[in-house]
Amino acid sequence: MADAGDVSQSARTPADFLKSIKGKPVVVKLNSGVDYRGILACLDGYMNIAMESTEEYVNGQLKNKYGDAFIRGNNVLYISTVKN
Amino acid sequence: MTEEDATVKEPLDLIKLSLDERIYVKLRGDRELRGRLHAYDQHLNMILGEVEETITTIEIDDETYEEIIKTNKRAVPFLFVRGDGVILVSPPLRQ
Repeated sequence: MADAGDVSQSARTPADFLKSIKGKPVVVKLNSGVDYRGILACLDGYMNIAMESTEEYVNGQLKNKYGDAFIRGNNVLYISTVKN
Repeated sequence: MTEEDATVKEPLDLIKLSLDERIYVKLRGDRELRGRLHAYDQHLNMILGEVEETITTIEIDDETYEEIIKTNKRAVPFLFVRGDGVILVSPPLRQ
């Protein structure tokens, strides 16, 4: 996918990567193992995350949907881009 | 893009926009809160009013080993939430 290519080519540092994925569909995994899939609205230095159209997956099963969601950064294990 | 998108520059702006609104808070320890956001700070310490706390527990049946999911709810007029327990904050579900 062209989008994914752009991300990997332009990303040099973790911060550059994070900047480059704003507005893109992502999966955020928390330390608890819960996944959040949605559009990354923005994030800050604590890795606090604002997401849109967020779906919460527990053990791979859809458990909840949130229009907007704020995730506190200390819970974040990783942020991953996904093909939409 | 909505008007809201234009004003969300950092994640905490999402919380700022929820002041005096009813919000949903997911906490550590399988606890959830629904209440009106009166105040918050950068740690996500929050003052909530007219709160409903939902506590989810899973018990294993002694004989059948089935998981029994129980939810207990309680009402709290005013609550101070320490930020480090917060996992997720969302404006009320608009489904």
